[in-house]
Amino acid sequence: MAYYPEPVARLIEALQRLPGVGPKTAQRMTFFLLKRPVEEVRELAESLVAVKERIVYCGTCFNVTDQDPCRLCADPARDARVLCVVEEPNDLLAMERTGEFRGRYHVLLGALSPLDGIGPDDLKVRELLLRLEQGETAEVILATNPNVEGEATALYLAKLLRPLGLRVTRIARGLPVGGDLEYADQVTLSKALEGRREIG
Amino acid sequence: MGLGRSAAVVIGSFPIGESDLVVSFYSREHGKIRGVAKAARRARSRFGGALELFTLGELVFFDTGRSDLLRIDHFDIVRPFGGLREDLEALGQAAWIVECVTRLTADHDRHVALYALLVRSLRALETADRPVHVAVCFGVRCLEVLGHRPRLDVCGGCGRAYPFARPALGAGGVLCERCAREAGDATPISPGGVAALERLRATSWEEALASPLGRLEGELAALLEAHMSGLIGQPTRTGRFVREVRRLSPAPGGRP
Ligand SMILES: [Zn+2]
Ligand SMILES: [Zn+2]
Repeated sequence: MAYYPEPVARLIEALQRLPGVGPKTAQRMTFFLLKRPVEEVRELAESLVAVKERIVYCGTCFNVTDQDPCRLCADPARDARVLCVVEEPNDLLAMERTGEFRGRYHVLLGALSPLDGIGPDDLKVRELLLRLEQGETAEVILATNPNVEGEATALYLAKLLRPLGLRVTRIARGLPVGGDLEYADQVTLSKALEGRREIG
Repeated sequence: MGLGRSAAVVIGSFPIGESDLVVSFYSREHGKIRGVAKAARRARSRFGGALELFTLGELVFFDTGRSDLLRIDHFDIVRPFGGLREDLEALGQAAWIVECVTRLTADHDRHVALYALLVRSLRALETADRPVHVAVCFGVRCLEVLGHRPRLDVCGGCGRAYPFARPALGAGGVLCERCAREAGDATPISPGGVAALERLRATSWEEALASPLGRLEGELAALLEAHMSGLIGQPTRTGRFVREVRRLSPAPGGRP
C-alpha cells in the first residue's frame, strides 16, 4: 500500500469503511473514480453530503425522509388501522414495491441480537408503544426477517403488545415463489407446512 | 489445504459483499473456523435456512490456504434446534453459551469435549423448563473442559482449607474473607453455592440437569457470568440482552 499520493490513500481508507468493502475493492473503486469525468465524481460527492444534510428519520415511523413527517405518514389515504413493523428502511421499500399494502409503517432500525448485545432499548420499540397507545391501530403486522434475530424481535413484540388487545399477525414464512420443494432445507419446509392454509 | 468435513454448530455470521455471508462454526474436528458462503443471503440460496445461528450440521468446506476464510461448500442440517428460537429466555441462554465458546477459544483449536458440551447444552435448552439451569450446568463444565477449573478445597490466596466463613469466588477459586479483600475482584459466594459448584462438576450431565438448584440458581448464574466476563476481559454481550428481555417476563404482560 506504500507510495500512493495522499489523496488516493485517503479515499481508499474512507471507502474501506463501507460495509462489504475490503482493501482490494476500495483500491479498484478509487482508480475507477480517477478515470471518470470530474462532473460525475462531483455529482457523487454532492449526493453523499446531501444524504447527510437533508435526510432525517421520520419522527413518527423512523423511515428515512427529507420531510418530517414523511410522505407515507402524511398521506391521508393510507390506512392508519393497520401498522406494518419492519427492521430497516429497505424492508419498508420492499413492502411498498409489492403495491399490496395500504397501511402505515413503523421502522425499528434494527433487530434483537443477543450476540451483538442489541436489546429492545436499542430499537424504536418505546416509540412503537407510544404510537399504539394513541389507539388508531387495530392490527400490527410483524414483518421482521425470518432469521433468528427477526424471529426473536417478533416474539418479543408479540409478548409486549399482548396486553394492548390488538390483532397481532406475523408474515408467513416458507418456500420462495419459483422454488423447488426437493431443494428446500428441512427448516424452511417445516415453516411452510406450519403456515399452510385451506385452498379452493 | 483441500477439502475438509466435520460436524459443526453455527455460532455466528455477518454479511459480506452483495449477497455472501461469513459464517463462524464451532466444529468437532477443527474447533472454531470461519468461512464464506457464496450467495447465502439470496432468497433462493442453496443454503436455505441451514446457516441460521445454533444449527448443527455436517459441514463440507474447502481450504484454499490463501486466507483464514474457508469456502463453505455444503452445510447439511442435522438438527436445527428450532426450539431455541421460540422462547426468548432459551434463546438468550443459548446465545450466552455460544458467546462463551466463541470468546474463550482460539481459531482452529480442536476441542472435542467442548464441542460435545456445546451440542449437549443446546439440546438440553430446547426442552428445558428453566433455561438458566442449563446455562449454569454448561458454565461449570465449560470451565473444567477449558482448564479454568476453580479450586474449591483451599483458599487460593493463603492456602487455608475450606470451609471457612464468608467465602468469595476469585479467578482461581474460593478465597477467604481476608484474601478476597486483598484480591479486590472476588464475588461473595454462599456456602451452599460452593457445595453446588462442587456437586455440579462431580455428577453426570444428566444428574446435573435433573438436580434442582432452587435459590442457588440465580446466584450461580451471576457468579458464572462474572467469572466468564473476567476470563473474556469484559462483560458478555448476551448478559445484557437477557436482562433487557427478562423485564417482560416476571409479571406476564408487564411493560418496560
Ligand atoms: Zn413516517
Ligand atoms: Zn485466604
